[in-house]
Amino acid sequence: MQETLFLPLIIALPLLGFVILGLSGKRIGEPAAGWLASLLVLGSFLLGLVLLLQGGARWTLAEWLPGIPFSLNLDNLSGVMLMVVAGVGFLIHVWAIGYMHGDPGYSRFFSYFNLFIAAMLVLILGDSLPVVFIGWEGVGLASYLLIGFWYQERVNADSARKAFIVNRIGDLGFLLAMGLLWSMFGTLSISELVEKVEAGGYSFTTLTLAGFFLLIGAIGKSAQVPLTVWLPDAMAGPTPVSALIHAATMVTAGVYLLVRHAFILHGDGFLAGLIVTVGLLTAFYGALCSLGQWDIKRIVAYTTLSQLGFMFVAVGVGAYWVAIFHIVTHAFFKALMFMTSGSVIHALGGEQDVRQMGGMRKYLPATHLHGLVATFASGGLVPLAGFWSKDAILAYSFEFGPWLWVLMLGASVLAALYSIRWYVLVFWGEYRGRSPSGRTNAHAPGGKAHPHESPAVMLWPNHILMGGALGVGFMGLPYVIDYKNFIEPYLTKAIGDFPHEKLPVVTEWVLIIISAVVAIAALWWGFRFFQQQMPAWYERFQTAALQGFYADAVYNALLVNPAKGLAELLFVGDKGLLTGFAGLGSLMGGLGGLLAKLETGALRFYLAGLLLALVLLLGWGVLR
Amino acid sequence: MIHVGLWLPLLAGLVLLIMPGLGRGFAIASAAISLGISLVLFAGYGGQGVAYASQTPFLPEAGVYYALGLDGAGLLLWIAVSLVVLLGVWIADVPVRFLAYTLMMQTGLLGIFAAQDLIFFYFFFEATLIPSLLMLWFYGGADRLRAIYTFALFTLVGSLPMLAAIFAVRFLGGADSFLYTDLAANPLTGQTASLAFLGFMVALAVKTPLFPLHAWLPSFHQQNHPSGLADAMGTLYKVGIFAFFKWAIPLMPDGLREWQGLLLFLAAFGAIYAAWVAFSAPDWKTLLAYAGVSHMGVAALGLFSGNGEGTVGALYLLGASMVYGSAMFLFIGLVYKRTGSLETSPVRGLAKHAPALYVLGMFLLMAMIGLPGLSGFPGELMALLGAYKVSPWLTFVAFLAVIAAAAYALTAFQKLFQENTQAQAVPDLDTREWGFAAVTVAVLLLMGLYPKLFTLYLEPLGKALAALFGGAS
Repeated sequence: MQETLFLPLIIALPLLGFVILGLSGKRIGEPAAGWLASLLVLGSFLLGLVLLLQGGARWTLAEWLPGIPFSLNLDNLSGVMLMVVAGVGFLIHVWAIGYMHGDPGYSRFFSYFNLFIAAMLVLILGDSLPVVFIGWEGVGLASYLLIGFWYQERVNADSARKAFIVNRIGDLGFLLAMGLLWSMFGTLSISELVEKVEAGGYSFTTLTLAGFFLLIGAIGKSAQVPLTVWLPDAMAGPTPVSALIHAATMVTAGVYLLVRHAFILHGDGFLAGLIVTVGLLTAFYGALCSLGQWDIKRIVAYTTLSQLGFMFVAVGVGAYWVAIFHIVTHAFFKALMFMTSGSVIHALGGEQDVRQMGGMRKYLPATHLHGLVATFASGGLVPLAGFWSKDAILAYSFEFGPWLWVLMLGASVLAALYSIRWYVLVFWGEYRGRSPSGRTNAHAPGGKAHPHESPAVMLWPNHILMGGALGVGFMGLPYVIDYKNFIEPYLTKAIGDFPHEKLPVVTEWVLIIISAVVAIAALWWGFRFFQQQMPAWYERFQTAALQGFYADAVYNALLVNPAKGLAELLFVGDKGLLTGFAGLGSLMGGLGGLLAKLETGALRFYLAGLLLALVLLLGWGVLR
Repeated sequence: MIHVGLWLPLLAGLVLLIMPGLGRGFAIASAAISLGISLVLFAGYGGQGVAYASQTPFLPEAGVYYALGLDGAGLLLWIAVSLVVLLGVWIADVPVRFLAYTLMMQTGLLGIFAAQDLIFFYFFFEATLIPSLLMLWFYGGADRLRAIYTFALFTLVGSLPMLAAIFAVRFLGGADSFLYTDLAANPLTGQTASLAFLGFMVALAVKTPLFPLHAWLPSFHQQNHPSGLADAMGTLYKVGIFAFFKWAIPLMPDGLREWQGLLLFLAAFGAIYAAWVAFSAPDWKTLLAYAGVSHMGVAALGLFSGNGEGTVGALYLLGASMVYGSAMFLFIGLVYKRTGSLETSPVRGLAKHAPALYVLGMFLLMAMIGLPGLSGFPGELMALLGAYKVSPWLTFVAFLAVIAAAAYALTAFQKLFQENTQAQAVPDLDTREWGFAAVTVAVLLLMGLYPKLFTLYLEPLGKALAALFGGAS
């Protein structure tokens, strides 16, 4: 692997965009600011592609902190992530040129957007944990700034703050992982850790703890149960932000972190069980919540949670390459789903309530096609991208335990249902719209909504993403299909080869057919069901699901409010501390009395005395 | 050069007291020269040991020498102090006499870091109190008397046991003088060491500040001048970590062994406790006071771990927090200039009319809560790596503060700058303030992105302390 300065340049390009647009974005203006930002990301993508085709690259700045090098590593794993982040990132940048049109913070937006890409690339390419952590917190900052992009409204600012604080719980896990690994191995370089873990000579329980700490970090960043609560609120940011950060890339960083550290997790039964449990809970929780939402972006946000749960299950059952494969397919179809939603919002002048939508297939034919493909890919229809990666997760789950396969099949039924529900409510039926709700959106023309198709700058990125949602699944076909699986050997080269028993051909075929048929059935059933008047039981379910099953209320009651209360209490107590010291002084009798006399005039006397003594001392020393 | 660097600010301060007509320009010139000198000293430092050492007999019979010198830590802190003083006299809207006190205080602070004789260290340590009290006395708020009383009481009463311990160290240790080199060659051991260490501990805990002896700090900040200059200087005066590192631990390593458990506990508990309390702070100065206590708790946790990483982390965090902590107080002074209030609760939405002020505040805030890439993080990380080796549980407790810090800092920040519905029309940064902002942000980035610049010189110090303390790592 070559040592090259082009590697940090990949990060430097978007960072440069952040600086330039941050300092003089207003002067550059619209749309140049957007194109500049987009082209810089494209530059990163192309540079990364070239280096990847040359077999990867490394770059090391000898030492950043004592014993901690600043090193970057482009291998097959970080390479695939780089392609997704910079590639999909570029498309979303371009799309945003159209979407953010007319916003007073246009160049500020692209400045932050580039900052995000730069930080995400640091996270991916970092080969030493503190470097990864720089990116880890950097994307957190970018996410904070972008969720709160329209911070003039309190709800947006609150959501941004909430995301940052909840993420910091995960960050604490990351920090402790660094502390523990440092104390165990005396290094935080990932490539060195791989060797040291292989070499053995440590307590496996301690290593489990390290894995556990990393898992806490991953749970925070990927919004898994029990730290899900920040992600739905994060939809307060502009839609391109939701598509890029809170669907396609940043939220998958937790999965990436775990896969990167597969050498720590692998073969650990406790961690495997824990990760599978977390993933399962999230997959179901996200799916059920999505089925109850009315806000188009919250619908999609919860589907993201559910899909992230799938990825966690993949990590838990040891299917590391599958987790990354699912990140790739998901990046395409979920970005597509979000941007399709954004195009609809755009068309309706800022409307986000799906009850005010419907019938969009007549008004927005191209967007309708995008939405249809996104729905099928997300719902797991053969042979779209989502089907193959989901199917691989199901196959590995079956190896882990048939019970897990059954549960995951249930979760994929829900995935098909929420996808088709989104589609039916937005595109099917008749337009139920009213005049725009007057949200903070530059496109609200005021007056009656005339749904209009998006401009080319927004359509083309979606065309490309649609191609991906249709096609990228074919690089990871199951082994029973006599066609090369490209991505598995490619990724295992970097992740490490953890051999597993392949399922018998017949079993695998049966599983594939069942999951394909079930998805079709669920999509069909959902298509019929969500066109009807909802039955009473669904309405009841929906009331709870709309509130995220009261997760926020429970957290507020159990954690947030007690913590605030304790803060008040401690504040008063801390004032009392001073009184306590005063009391202590009085108790000490003579001393207390003496000190009390120092107050006001006496203190001046004391100070004068001190000064005099110092002067005398100095004078004696000099004159002697 | 080191002598000029040390005494120049005092001289300039005295001149300014006598001839206030010289004005702010004179103070700025003095501060700029000071910073220049400390940078020259830094550039000329060889990287090992105490440089620019000089000693002149002062009271040879008593073994007192006027001895100066700078090691890597001393240099880092000289630069930090000089930079903050320059920023302070540059930006703060205060009377000229106030600036004079600031310069005089600078000499005291520089002396603390350069003294190579324990008596002179004590002299600077105490003498610095005088300008600090004068600032509070003449320019403090309505309730300043109580604050002065509390501050002076904690400091002076705390110093008495240290003074006793200083003599104990010299005479029970059997050194020929109060010179650092002599004392360090004859460290106290056993029971005596632990008692003498306790004497230092009380005085230094007040100045770290370490829970529960931080109790003087909130009222000190609340009552000081709203420009934040006195608060910035007060932040520089938090030299406890340095003094533990430079004097207490090397002269009495057994003392740290004896008290390590308690000290680690107080540091860790203080870190999360103060961060939690900060959430309820009714005004920015109180908030920053508690934030400072929390950060110093983290630094102290690193130092008391007694290993190389922890020591480097503690010293780096000390230097960094001097810069961002002081700059934050000065920044709040700018806010006060615009709003006339320091309360945290009202929605002000300043970002709308003062976007540059907002960006500066964002940088400072993120540095304060330890965002990687800015100056707070390298020290925090190294302190964590050191502390985890010694006490994982206390490390966990202390670093809960990273969550609490995000909560208190972002909440108050949001009220001040966002939620524009009731935006207050205020002017954005003027030219002078742009200068302050540019330098501050540049330093935050430099310290965050290229920590090696200083850790290179701190690393040998950390190793030496670890070797001295031994065992624990």
